[in-house]
Amino acid sequence: MSLSFAKRQINSLLLLELFRGLSITGRVFLTRAITIRYPEEDTPISPRFRGMLALRRYANGEERCIGCRLCEAACPALAITIEADVRSDGSRRTTIYDIDAFKCMHCGFCEEACPVDAIVLTSEMHYHMEARGENIFTKDKLLAIGDLYEEKIAQDREKDNA
Amino acid sequence: MIKFEIDGKKIQAKSGSTIIEAADAAGVDVSHIPRFCYHSKLSIAASCRMCLVEVENGRKPLPACATTVTAGMKIYTKSHQAMQAQKEVMSFLLINHPLDCPICDQGGECELQDLSMGYGRTSTSFIEGKRSIKDKDIGPLIATEMTRCIHCTRCVRFCSEIAGLRELGILGRGEHSEISTYVEHSMQSELAGNIIDLCPVGALTSKPFRFKARAWELRARAGIAGHDCLGSNINIHIKRESDSQPERIMRVVSRTNEKLNETWLSDRDRFSYTGLYHADRLARPMIKQIGKWQETDWETALTVATQKLQNVIAQNGAQAVGGLISPNSTVEECYLFQAWLRSLGVPHIDHRIRQSDFDHQIQSPLVWSTCKCVQSLEETTSFLLIGSFIREEQPLITSRIRKATQGGARVHVINPVDFDFHLTLTNRCIVSPWGMVCSLAAIAQVLFGNDKKKLNIMPKPIAELIRQQKPNTVEHDIARDLQQDKAPLILLGALAQAHPYFSYLRVLSETIAIEIGAKTLHLTDSANEAGAWLATALPHRRIDGVSIKEPGYNAKAMLAKTLKSYCLFGLEPTYDSAYPELARTALQQAECVIVCSAFKNKAMLEYADVLLPIATHLENEGSFVNIEGTRQSFQRSVNKPFAEARCGWKVLRVLANFMGRPGFDYQTVLELSSELSRNLENDLQSEHIPPVDFKPLPTVSDNTVWRCGYWPIYRNDSLVRRAEPLQVLTVEQDLAKLRLGAALATHLKVNNGDRVSVSSDHPDAKPVTLQVLIDQRIADATVCLPSGLPDIAINGPLSVVRITT
Repeated sequence: MSLSFAKRQINSLLLLELFRGLSITGRVFLTRAITIRYPEEDTPISPRFRGMLALRRYANGEERCIGCRLCEAACPALAITIEADVRSDGSRRTTIYDIDAFKCMHCGFCEEACPVDAIVLTSEMHYHMEARGENIFTKDKLLAIGDLYEEKIAQDREKDNA
Repeated sequence: MIKFEIDGKKIQAKSGSTIIEAADAAGVDVSHIPRFCYHSKLSIAASCRMCLVEVENGRKPLPACATTVTAGMKIYTKSHQAMQAQKEVMSFLLINHPLDCPICDQGGECELQDLSMGYGRTSTSFIEGKRSIKDKDIGPLIATEMTRCIHCTRCVRFCSEIAGLRELGILGRGEHSEISTYVEHSMQSELAGNIIDLCPVGALTSKPFRFKARAWELRARAGIAGHDCLGSNINIHIKRESDSQPERIMRVVSRTNEKLNETWLSDRDRFSYTGLYHADRLARPMIKQIGKWQETDWETALTVATQKLQNVIAQNGAQAVGGLISPNSTVEECYLFQAWLRSLGVPHIDHRIRQSDFDHQIQSPLVWSTCKCVQSLEETTSFLLIGSFIREEQPLITSRIRKATQGGARVHVINPVDFDFHLTLTNRCIVSPWGMVCSLAAIAQVLFGNDKKKLNIMPKPIAELIRQQKPNTVEHDIARDLQQDKAPLILLGALAQAHPYFSYLRVLSETIAIEIGAKTLHLTDSANEAGAWLATALPHRRIDGVSIKEPGYNAKAMLAKTLKSYCLFGLEPTYDSAYPELARTALQQAECVIVCSAFKNKAMLEYADVLLPIATHLENEGSFVNIEGTRQSFQRSVNKPFAEARCGWKVLRVLANFMGRPGFDYQTVLELSSELSRNLENDLQSEHIPPVDFKPLPTVSDNTVWRCGYWPIYRNDSLVRRAEPLQVLTVEQDLAKLRLGAALATHLKVNNGDRVSVSSDHPDAKPVTLQVLIDQRIADATVCLPSGLPDIAINGPLSVVRITT
């Protein structure tokens, strides 16, 4: 008993614990900070991140979507509304492709269901609406988002497949 | 009965039946044998080999569709050998089938897709290029994607066996074989749409429905087809309401009913839905105020209608009001229509808008032909068809008759035009409308012309007519054949009904029928003529079946007498009536015309005062009585008919309420139907009916020219007239020509392409100028000019016309 008591007293007088603690502080003080300045800086995210929705096109500019309605059927939140018809060249295309962003829960089932990789979830998570009605992502809007992010979308798919 | 085993289960079947038939008959006890080319209503091709099964002691798997069962046979449908064979067949079928299910309309209801889930492999060893076939254009109804075809030949067999037209065939052999029309043309058959249902893959799909919806989005509701008197059973496919669209009827497919339509459906019934959302559809009630139309709410419209009608009745009495209802309305609507008008004291109520001769109405039976003979048509061996373009009027009844002729039945025809029925005719009398009556009288003369007793008890003009005849060889042949047959069938068609001497035709055919022990069947061109009779939408009969002493005007008299007010229900008289010219003048002169209709047209906007939108038969609830006397009820398929439209019975009920008539408090259509049923069961009385006078025989000179004004298949009612894909099939310019035979053309000194003016035989009749087309199929002294065409209003579909060159 007396031995351990003495040991504790000596340690306490030598301020060993203090220095041990200060050494962590010192080490962390010298390493690079892990906090980021959001929103000026971005956190690194997985290529599988499921963010804002987009419709992709083929390299020749033709929209990928063929109006098969599988995404509509797969959507658990019933966020997707599709009307399809015959386009002037006889191919099957959508006339309406609406996604209600309020209903969407970014589960990614639509992307899973899509046989032509048309509907995708981009890694973009910064988006907002300012007026009622903007929550409906129309076909034009989704295609525009797809055009805007095409490079990133393609990169992400490639990374994920690798 | 033969005893044998399938998968270890003991089963009995009729001798001569095939394995697949026996297995299907055994139902749930036996596992389903996969098949593509086999169809219970078609001949056996055994071309797909999907139904291969193992038979004990068999050298190799046998096709279940083409192997008859024998006593003690042991069949294994799920054994290793059977499964192996089925899987191999499936992989061969998939070699050339494109994997384009996402863009294929059959996706979700495809037999190949379903079976490939069970028998398909996940990978293929096929590395060569798939074959592709150029698509064929076979008309506005059927879309083709021939690369998907698996050559089951169901469509080919359907066309030759059921539709009676060999329009499709298989060209080439082996890998180069393809289904084609050979020379590219639209399919002409009026049953062509059935090949959409038959095709097990997405090679033949519906063109109007193309890409519009998916099978899994649709809800099926049972309905009854409303364009002919067969009452085919249908399924109406509805897409639920979405943000972008209200609830909509997307397509119509057939529903099996062995007694009536088997598994088929005519194109008219299948594609008429395409007219539902036409621009002419009435969305909201409309009233005319100071010559201008304005849309309004129901209450205002009904108040205006009530006031106007009550004003007319107050000033001129209920005698000045006439009610015309379409024979395509439900029984309930007909019942309420007559009950409402009779409660107001209106005596003039009728539904027989296409009839010209009402002389015999009192003696017509209370209940129309009730012989349940549609199913037995195939067993009938002798038919006499009077005044009917039956292929266009009753496509499915024709297919039954066709089947009978394939078994050797004889069909005799008395028609003003040698219509093409796509079946073998034994004898044809192609004579003028008056000649039809004479021919029938001649047949009667052959049968009992020498029997003075029989002639003496007949009405005088008819006995006189029979005596006058000098039967020719054809008439002799017909009479002899009918006499020799055990149970011949006499069919009276729509042209007989529209005939100005319908009463003659009717009495003659009934007398002949009694003489030879035949049945008669009236083929009406509307869905519910029999129901309208039962519900007494008639001027001469009350709901309890008792004749009215002083009957009101019939449909023709109502228009000829120009009443002060008309109530029209589900009608466009300028197209639907046998007297379009009379109808237009009468309706325009009337003070108040109240129209309940699903569609508006130009003429209607001129003559009507109040337009009340009602549901079409695809959205309606109620019942139809078909030609066999079978009453088939149907419920509303959609929650709400189009826009503000309401079911017809509700509109009539509320109209009666607004006019303060007691006893119109039905909450549901069922209350109404059960009241009607009670009335029919309890009060149907038979009474002594005094003999009526027949009109005298007409004087027919050499210069008399008759018109044959049949209603073309796709001009028959307001919904069909607006179904665009069907309208594409009927080229209006071709119809709107004056067809006549070469003899008449020489007599009139006209040639092909000359323009002549035609009018009905009335001093004030307005002539119509038309192009002449010489057609050998037209009888002497007859011109053929269809009814129901826009801008051609000539009174009387089968009456005398004047032609001036």
